[in-house]
Amino acid sequence: MTAIRLDALTRTFGTVRAVDDISLTIAEGELFTLLGPSGCGKTTLLRMIAGFCDVERGSIWFGDKRIDQLPAHQRNIGMVFQNYAIFPNLTVADNVAYGLKARKVDRRETDRRVAEALEMVQLPNHGARWPHELSGGQLQRVAIARSLVIKPAVLLFDEPLSNLDAQLRTHMRVEIRQLQKSLGLTAVYVTHDQEEALAISDRIAVLRGGRIEQVGSPEAIYRTPETAFVGSFMGATNMLSGVIGTSDGSTTGVLVGGIELRVPGEVGAAGERVLLSIRPETLRLVEDGAPGHQVAARLTLREFLGPILRLHATLPDGTAIRVAALGGQMVRTEPGGDLLLGYDPTQILVYPAP
Amino acid sequence: MIGFGGLNAFRTGVTLLALAFLALFLLYPLWIVLEASLHDAHGAWSLAPYAKILASRYYVGSLDNSLIAGALSMVCATAIGVPLAFCMARVDVPGKSLLMTLASLPLVLPSFVGAYALVLLFGHVGVITVALRSIGLPVGDIYGLSGIVIVFTLTLYPYVLMPTVAGFKAIDVSVEEAARNLGASRWRVFRTVLLPIVVPSVLAGALLVFIETLENFGVPSVLAEDRPFLSLDIFKLFAGESDSNPAAAGALSTMLVGITIAVLLLQRRYLAKRRFATGARRAPPTILLSRPWLLLATAYAWGVVLLSLLPFGAVLVISFLHFSGPVLSWRFGLDNYATLLHGSYQPLYNTGILATAAALAATLFGAPIGYVLVRHRGKLSTLLDVVAIVPFAVSGTVLGIGMIIAFNSGWLVLTGGWLILVLAYVVRKLPFSIRSASAIVHQIDPSLEEASINLGVSPLKTFVTLTVPLMAGGLVGGMVLVWVTVAAELSSTIVLYSSRWATMTVLMFQALEGTAPGQSAAAASILILFTAVPLLLVYRFLRRQDGSLL
Repeated sequence: MTAIRLDALTRTFGTVRAVDDISLTIAEGELFTLLGPSGCGKTTLLRMIAGFCDVERGSIWFGDKRIDQLPAHQRNIGMVFQNYAIFPNLTVADNVAYGLKARKVDRRETDRRVAEALEMVQLPNHGARWPHELSGGQLQRVAIARSLVIKPAVLLFDEPLSNLDAQLRTHMRVEIRQLQKSLGLTAVYVTHDQEEALAISDRIAVLRGGRIEQVGSPEAIYRTPETAFVGSFMGATNMLSGVIGTSDGSTTGVLVGGIELRVPGEVGAAGERVLLSIRPETLRLVEDGAPGHQVAARLTLREFLGPILRLHATLPDGTAIRVAALGGQMVRTEPGGDLLLGYDPTQILVYPAP
Repeated sequence: MIGFGGLNAFRTGVTLLALAFLALFLLYPLWIVLEASLHDAHGAWSLAPYAKILASRYYVGSLDNSLIAGALSMVCATAIGVPLAFCMARVDVPGKSLLMTLASLPLVLPSFVGAYALVLLFGHVGVITVALRSIGLPVGDIYGLSGIVIVFTLTLYPYVLMPTVAGFKAIDVSVEEAARNLGASRWRVFRTVLLPIVVPSVLAGALLVFIETLENFGVPSVLAEDRPFLSLDIFKLFAGESDSNPAAAGALSTMLVGITIAVLLLQRRYLAKRRFATGARRAPPTILLSRPWLLLATAYAWGVVLLSLLPFGAVLVISFLHFSGPVLSWRFGLDNYATLLHGSYQPLYNTGILATAAALAATLFGAPIGYVLVRHRGKLSTLLDVVAIVPFAVSGTVLGIGMIIAFNSGWLVLTGGWLILVLAYVVRKLPFSIRSASAIVHQIDPSLEEASINLGVSPLKTFVTLTVPLMAGGLVGGMVLVWVTVAAELSSTIVLYSSRWATMTVLMFQALEGTAPGQSAAAASILILFTAVPLLLVYRFLRRQDGSLL
């Protein structure tokens, strides 16, 4: 059980600031995810914690012990690599025992802990196998066993599921989460997959250009993104640019795509440009004359996705807008027909225009 | 960089040591050769040696001959290599894997043995010449340009073949299917899609053929007779007893090195911009041919490969025949070998000792360099990367001459001993060792080493206990190749050897100048065994027959 504290970490490659003055505190037993597009600095940050990337400025603390000056092999960190990094010249058992040998754990203790770790990842009796005899998912389990068996202070995951197929990916992320919870390990998890991040994390930091955009629980990140970048990165949303119109005290009108949308509160001076984020699932199909706020749109394409029905529509001036309805809902309108979309002003997020 | 402690010191140390080694034993001798060419008869700085050479019809002819032979060999090697490569990559030729193994042999078999075989068969008193003449058929002259081009083509075409086979195999089948789907005929697909994609591979190999022909000393020394030839004239100008002229030798050497470096740079520049083959996810299937076409392809593929090995086979057979003076009789026996070695096995031992020492040294030295070049990019290692390809462009004769002058006197005297030979071999073969080590390191995922460090093993210990064992298999293959090519090395040996350290190639070279063809054939046969057997063993045990290490 170790808390991690990153203090004003900076690292540049040439002229690029890969990690730019990042400070974070990760609580004991927390699974903390670094999320962002490629090049955002998440992997560099993880590798700085692991000791594979120098800290240029700032410090890293495990509890009250500063570790950024320690060489990588003395940090006692478990790490699961993107491509598993299973030693091809060693059997499964020897792979798992590798870190114990380095720690000079005696033979009997080693055998016991290796068997225990393999049991934990549901690979009992696989110790004598060679890596080339295992499937991708099994290699992943070996990699996890190998990182757990050394009783690490902290566990790091570098996009561990990106090489697995979709079904195995959802399965493994549940297993990783359960293992981490049951062992009470502090874990840092890197991914570019927002769904994976939402599913697995206690808290998420969204990174962009080496800086933190937002830190928060999965719900907070998804529901109340603090910046337009976080909003659009966390799953499909309608990003519409508009101009502020008149305010009636409780809501303000914003002119978007030839119509007016009401947004909550006072958002700025009239005539100012803003960005609106409307999630497709917050829009409803309504009948003529229904109460509440509505806008008219024209249907261009329907996509039936099983659980949901995605509608592609355009606002009067041609601006595209997406609507997600439940798949079971009957929608009779054919492409080319008119739709009436109901919305709730409190579900619309307003950001300053870039 | 913090955190990498011992390993970082190791990396910097390797880089600096390698640079120092190449500076002392490659760049310094080359500078000496260059410097020798920049003085006039009175020792003042001058370009007079160059002016003299360019004014001499003989030496301009020498340049011409070398360039023409190189260009013709390049064209011929491409002409037979590309169709052969297509057959190997896409046609179900029977015995393909054996064929690939055999096809790589000419690259390591000593090419001057091939030239000598041609003389034995078709020379002035060659076996076939004499036989044909006795039934009244005249035989054309194989000396000079035609013979040299034939030998170069037959021994160097694998340089075109190997990369082109790889190129054809790396084209994803979907590219071809797309072209077919868009309405192109098979022939049109070949002409407009497949061929353009492999052109960079073909050209890379063809330019290598050109460089090799310019540097080659053995083939023209057997076949040129009295015609001027660049690599021969350099040697004569340097070692000739009556007409020794270091300034002229230096000037010719500089021209030779200049041309090869220019070609090498051209090749690198050209390749850097053209990376068409991205590795096939689905290997292209073999093309089903109708019976006559398949027979034709089989006959062509086996015909070319067997033809290229025929001279070597002929030498092996002839070495067991009895000669009375220069006249051949059809009695089998070992007397050629007995006479050749007449009680002294020293040249055999010398070849074994020198090749083993050079192979060990080149591998021990090349492996860490290859590792550092792949894993550790920096200003120093980039410089090393550039310097380490220079040996490709320097002929053995030129390097030998430079080393003789550089280490004949002064603070470091090496001439006359075994060490100077080994050093020259290591310098010449280092690019091979580095390249084969780099190729292996490229296949080892860096995260393996990180995983080891992460699990608590120090970086230096990780290198020794994880990386080195993972590299070992490939290193053995590279080491055997160095051994084989050193055993067959003539150009630098002939400049640097002393009588105590005469090798089999020297013995053969001397036998050529004598009038005992039987002994030359015996020496040539020993060389063939020395080179072919280890190579075939490596192929057998490492299952590498793609010639990727060549």
